[in-house]
Amino acid sequence: MDQLSTKWIIHLLFSLCFLGVSCNSVGKKIYVDLNNTVPCVRLLNATHQIGCQSSLSGNVGVLHVLESEENLDWVLDSGPNPPYMVILETPLFTRSIMMKLKNGSSRVAGVAFVVPNSNPAGGFSPHTSCPNENSGVYTEGYDPTLANCKNTVWNPLGSGLSYEDFDFPIFSLKDDNDTEVIRQCYIVHNRPVNGSTPRYPLCAMQLFSHMSAVTNTPTCMRRNDINFSISPEYVCDPLGDSNVWGSSRPLNNTAKGHKMWESVVIAAARLDSRSFFSNVAPGTESAVSGFVTLLAAAHALRNATQEAQPNRTILYAFFQGEAFDYIGSSRMVYDMEKNQFPLDMDNIHSVLEIGQVGLRSDSKLWLHTDPVSRRNATVNKEVEELIENLQLVARELNISGEEPNLSQPLPPSSFQRFLLNRPIPGVVLEDHRSEFYESMFDNREYLNITYPPELTPEEQLEYVTDTAKALTEVATMVGRALYKQAGGEDSQLKNINADSQIVRLVKIISINQNFFSNDRPLNLYVGVYQQASEPTALVHHLLANLTGSVLNITQENCNNQREDEEDKESKHVGHTAVFLLLAPPNSTERRGFCVRSTSRVFRALSPAFEEHNYTNKAYSTWTESRWKSIRGRIFLVASHELEMLTLGVGIGVLLTSLLLTYFISSKADILFSSAREPTNATY
Amino acid sequence: MNLERLPNEEKLSLCRKYYLVILVLMPLIFSGGFAFLPFLWLVNVVWFFKEAFLKPAYTEQLLIKTYVKRSALGLLLWVAVLTTWNIIFQHFRAQWGEVGDNLSFTIPLGIP
Repeated sequence: MDQLSTKWIIHLLFSLCFLGVSCNSVGKKIYVDLNNTVPCVRLLNATHQIGCQSSLSGNVGVLHVLESEENLDWVLDSGPNPPYMVILETPLFTRSIMMKLKNGSSRVAGVAFVVPNSNPAGGFSPHTSCPNENSGVYTEGYDPTLANCKNTVWNPLGSGLSYEDFDFPIFSLKDDNDTEVIRQCYIVHNRPVNGSTPRYPLCAMQLFSHMSAVTNTPTCMRRNDINFSISPEYVCDPLGDSNVWGSSRPLNNTAKGHKMWESVVIAAARLDSRSFFSNVAPGTESAVSGFVTLLAAAHALRNATQEAQPNRTILYAFFQGEAFDYIGSSRMVYDMEKNQFPLDMDNIHSVLEIGQVGLRSDSKLWLHTDPVSRRNATVNKEVEELIENLQLVARELNISGEEPNLSQPLPPSSFQRFLLNRPIPGVVLEDHRSEFYESMFDNREYLNITYPPELTPEEQLEYVTDTAKALTEVATMVGRALYKQAGGEDSQLKNINADSQIVRLVKIISINQNFFSNDRPLNLYVGVYQQASEPTALVHHLLANLTGSVLNITQENCNNQREDEEDKESKHVGHTAVFLLLAPPNSTERRGFCVRSTSRVFRALSPAFEEHNYTNKAYSTWTESRWKSIRGRIFLVASHELEMLTLGVGIGVLLTSLLLTYFISSKADILFSSAREPTNATY
Repeated sequence: MNLERLPNEEKLSLCRKYYLVILVLMPLIFSGGFAFLPFLWLVNVVWFFKEAFLKPAYTEQLLIKTYVKRSALGLLLWVAVLTTWNIIFQHFRAQWGEVGDNLSFTIPLGIP
C-alpha cells in the first residue's frame, strides 16, 4: 500500500509540473520579424533585367544607418564587419549613392529605405528622364531631331533608379515603431563611438526576396515552357490587365472590324502608374487626375449625347499598363489591325487624350500635338480645328489652354501608339509638373488634397477642395470639347457641366476610405496578367454607373445579360449589364442595382505574348519574376571567430568521442570481463 | 558475397564476367547507350584488388590481374571524360542559352 501511494504522489507531482510550464519558442527570442515591408522585385524585358535580387537563404548584413554621402566610406571601404545592411533616409536615396552601393556590392548586403511621413521637398522620381522612349512614336526613323527626348526632356528629375539592376535586396520600411526598434538596435550595438570599432555582438538584418527569373523575358518564358521535369516551375509572368472602354452611342460588339459610316472620337486616359517598390503606386497626379476627369466628362456628356446626338460617336478609353511601354494602347491598336475590335483604325476621326491635369500652375493647361503628322495639310487642318475648339471652351471657363512651341513633340502618351500606326489628328492635355513622376510620393499630398482640420470624416466626403474644383473645370472643358469635336451643336454646350461631386472621387481614391479596408491609397500598379488590378474594376463600374441607366431586374438576370427569363441576348447589342453594390446618397447601407451601359473591358496583354515573339522590340515585353517568400528580420549576430570556435569545439567533441568509443570497444574484454562469469557461447 | 569462400576458378569467372559483360555485351544489349558502365568496372577493381595483387600467387591470378588492370584503365578513361564534360557544362551552360536549357534536367532559379 505504501508503495502504491508513493507512486501516486510521484505521478501527481509530475503532472503538476506541466501546469507551470509554457511553450517557449527559441526562435522568437532571437529574431524580431519586420512587418510592413515592401520589397523591390525583378522585372524583365526583351533584353534586360531590372530590380533587385537576394540570395536564396536571405542576405544577412550588419546594420548601418547612413548619415551622409561621406559616411558611405565606412560601408564601402573602412568598416571592419562587412557585409553591411544600409539604412537610408529620403535625402540620401539618390542615384549617386545607389550607384556607389551597387558597385561595391560585395560589401553591401542590402538597403532598407525608411519612408518619411510627408513628401520630400525638391521632388523625387526614380523613373527615367525620357519615359517609354523606345516604344513611342519618336524614333530615329520618324524624326531624328525629336527621338530620345532631344527636344524636350519630359522628366528632368528622373534618376532612372527604377531601371537599374541591383544584386542585393532593397526594401522600404514605414517610419513606425518597428523602425524605431531598428534604430535603437543600431545605436546600442553598432554605432562606432569616437572612431572605435564596434564590438560584437552586432545588430544585423536579414532580408529575403529571392527572385526566380533571370536574364530576360525570352529566357524566362522559355523556362516556363519546359515540361519534362518532375515539377514544372513557372518563373515569370507577363504584365498586363484589362482596358476599359465605353461609348456615347452603343456599338455592336459582336461585329468586329471596320464599321461602315461610323466615325469615332477617342477620349483616352491612362489607368496605371508605378514606383520603385512593388505594389506601391498611388499615381494620384499621373493617372488618377486623368481618368477621374474623363469619368466626370463622360458623366457630363450623358444627357447631351442622348438628347441631341452628335454625328460622331465618342469612345471613352482607359488604358492599363501604359507605364510599361504602352501595354494597353498597343493592344488596342493591334486588335484594331487584326479586326478583333468592334472598330477599325479607319473609323477613328481624332483622339483627345487627358494626361496629368491635377496641378495647373496659373490655370495653364498645355495642348500638345505632334509636329511630324501636322506636316500633312489635311491632318494639320483637323488639328487646328481641335485646338480651336479646346481653346474656345477653355476661355469660357477661365482656363488658359496654351499651345506649346510648334516643334515640340508629344509627351509620353497613349496617343503615340495610334500615331505609330497612321497619322491621326489628336491633342494631349497636360499640366507639366513632374516632381514625383512615377514614384511612391505621387499621392494626395502632392495634389494638395487637404481638408480644414475641424471637419468630421463624413463632412470631409462632402467638402469640395480646390483641387476638386480645378479638376471639375477641366472635366467640363473636356466634355464640351469632345461634344464639339464629335460634331455636336454649339447651343448644347452650356448644358454640359461636370459635377464636382464626381470629381471628389479623386480624393476618395487617393485616401481609399470607401472602397477597401486597408489604410493605404489605391495601388495602380498594373501587376501580372493573371491578377486583376484594383483600378480596372473600379473604373469599369464607375463608367457603367455614370453613363448607364438603372434596370429593375434581379441579380441573376443581370449577370446573365437578360431582362427576364425569355429575353434574347441579341436584343441588347452594344450594351452590357453590370451588377453594382452601391450606397445610395444619405445612407451607408449598400444595395444592389443592375446598370445597363456601354462600359466593357477588354484584355490588355502585350501583343508580344499573344504572338509568342518575345524578342520583338515593337511591343512591350515586360514580365514580372515570381518569388517564394519575401520577409525580413533583425537579430544579434556573433563574431566570425566565435562561430568558428563553436564549430571547432563541436567537431573536436565528435572526434574525441569516436576515438574513445573505438578505444573502449577494442579493449572491451579487458575492461568489462572482471565482474562477469565466462559463459558458453551458444550462438 | 564473401570472396574468401569461393574457389579460385569461380573467382576468375566472376572477375571475367564483370569485365567482359560490360565490354562486350552491354553495347549489344543497350544499343548505343549505357555502354561500358564505369561503376561496374570500379566494383571490379575494388573487389578483386586484394585477390589480384596482395594474395600469394595461384594459377588463375594472372588472368584476374589483367582483368583488374583493364577495368582500372577503362575506369580512369571514363572518369576523365565525365570530369571534363562536367566542368565544361557547369561553366558554359548559362552562355549556351537555349541549348543549355534543353540539356539541363533541373535549372536553378534566380541565377543565369
